[in-house]
Amino acid sequence: MELLTIDAFKAMMSNALAHVKLREDEFSKLDAVIGDGDHGTAIVTALSCVMNPLENGTEFKSVLNDMGFAVMLQTSGSTSTLLGAFFLGMSDHASGSSLDVNGVKAMFAGGLENVQKQTKAQKGDKTMMDALIPAVEAMQNSDTADVKELLLSAADAALKGAEDTVRMKANFGRARNYGEQSIGYADSGATSWSCMFAAFAEAL
Amino acid sequence: MSANKIKFINNPENITQELLEGYVMAYKDKVALGGENIVVRVHPKSEDKVAIVTLGGSGHEPALSGFVGEGMLDCSVVGDIFAAPGAQRLFQALQMFKREAGILLVVLNHSGDVMSANMACQLAERVGIKVKRLLTHDDISAGIGAPKDDRRGLAGCVPLFKIIGAAAEEGKSLDELLEIGERFCDNVATLAVAMRSCTHPQNNGIITDLPEGIMEIGMGQHGEGGGGRQPLVSADETASQMVDLLLQQLKPAAGDKLMLIINGVGATTHMELNIIYRKSCLVLEEKGFDVAEGRIQEILTVQEQAGFQMIIARLDADHIDYLKNKRADAPYWVTIGK
Repeated sequence: MELLTIDAFKAMMSNALAHVKLREDEFSKLDAVIGDGDHGTAIVTALSCVMNPLENGTEFKSVLNDMGFAVMLQTSGSTSTLLGAFFLGMSDHASGSSLDVNGVKAMFAGGLENVQKQTKAQKGDKTMMDALIPAVEAMQNSDTADVKELLLSAADAALKGAEDTVRMKANFGRARNYGEQSIGYADSGATSWSCMFAAFAEAL
Repeated sequence: MSANKIKFINNPENITQELLEGYVMAYKDKVALGGENIVVRVHPKSEDKVAIVTLGGSGHEPALSGFVGEGMLDCSVVGDIFAAPGAQRLFQALQMFKREAGILLVVLNHSGDVMSANMACQLAERVGIKVKRLLTHDDISAGIGAPKDDRRGLAGCVPLFKIIGAAAEEGKSLDELLEIGERFCDNVATLAVAMRSCTHPQNNGIITDLPEGIMEIGMGQHGEGGGGRQPLVSADETASQMVDLLLQQLKPAAGDKLMLIINGVGATTHMELNIIYRKSCLVLEEKGFDVAEGRIQEILTVQEQAGFQMIIARLDADHIDYLKNKRADAPYWVTIGK
């Protein structure tokens, strides 16, 4: 697949919502270990809001902008702040109605950059960044010209990053108070973001 | 004892709406509701001047909406009990106050408020609204010299509203206001003490249980623990300990002009607050400081909590002028001015 069309992007997002819904309870249970147990609901609610603007979209920049506004205006909490920021950052680095691998790389890098403006969490802090940062890095380091392969590399890296959080001690936000108790469980945010990246690749 | 047996409330779900409605009825010559849970001035300042907007949960009355009025805030965006308002409501308020001069958004450093502010400002900037954030972080319970990000925003925001409100009324630009405000934020420190924790009026929960005869210095706005538990001591001893900690943070020089505010947080009487003020002021004067501005008032409270916040600021000539000489006419803060 040489070009990511807006229709293929719509399929990616719909598939992500479908997969996240299937695992909603799992994400909430993981979150309950060191948080308030609502991450499954939060990520499903946040992703559900983007479907309406997505449906009517014809080009990347405006559709991603509208998706970011929808997430931020219709929901609240850290999950939607970061997901909304991701879409707004992608919007700033995308244009037209189809993207080649370089366009896709730039779009995802822009998303990560804007998320990093909202959170100080780094790799290793046991947060969603443990899936997102490796996924975007893997894309930047890939030399494929195929968009599906590019997203497969992101999905692999995100999955590995999420699995790595099992061994980590929570180091960020409220979860930090749980310290050693957090070891042995994957982070709910890293797990849901790796689920999204897997669904992105699968949809292509 | 459950909270609903100790409070005059109706349906707990309606607390915020009902309290705001009562408030704007009582002060209808000064404040009005400009939208759901958005409090605005009845007589807005002219559009060529920077608007000052803030946000925060309810349950802390008279804060923050009590300071909406001439010479102070233009708008307060209110969340539910102890909860930040969502980004949507804040974005709505920013749209209402869109102007070329810009908006200064004062954010108390609490994660929910910061997050809503970040979201709303991101969206606002994308639709061409000029807005800058001023983060308050006056609490020193995280430790003397702790990084700003680790310090919560407490009642020190209220004299800040007075200062930047007066400066905005005078026509200062957004950048000038940010500088004046940051200069005050860097020179104000607050410490809270509690001897009984607060309750949550919607779920009857007690947020931190403090045993009888114990006080905690450093307790947060909602009774979150701050670490400094000790047996209750006299008013004079409590005041001296707290002044000492605040001075370690502020490091004023002899002769500096200081502001001292004792803010009651709900269940401590003005009788006690006056006794605390007396000793605090005496200690400061003995050390050679000039207590140029003082106040004993419930400016930012929390349900049923017994205790107070002590706020000390080192004032420069600008800040004194804005605090004392410029007119303010908000329901809970009036200055005649010169």
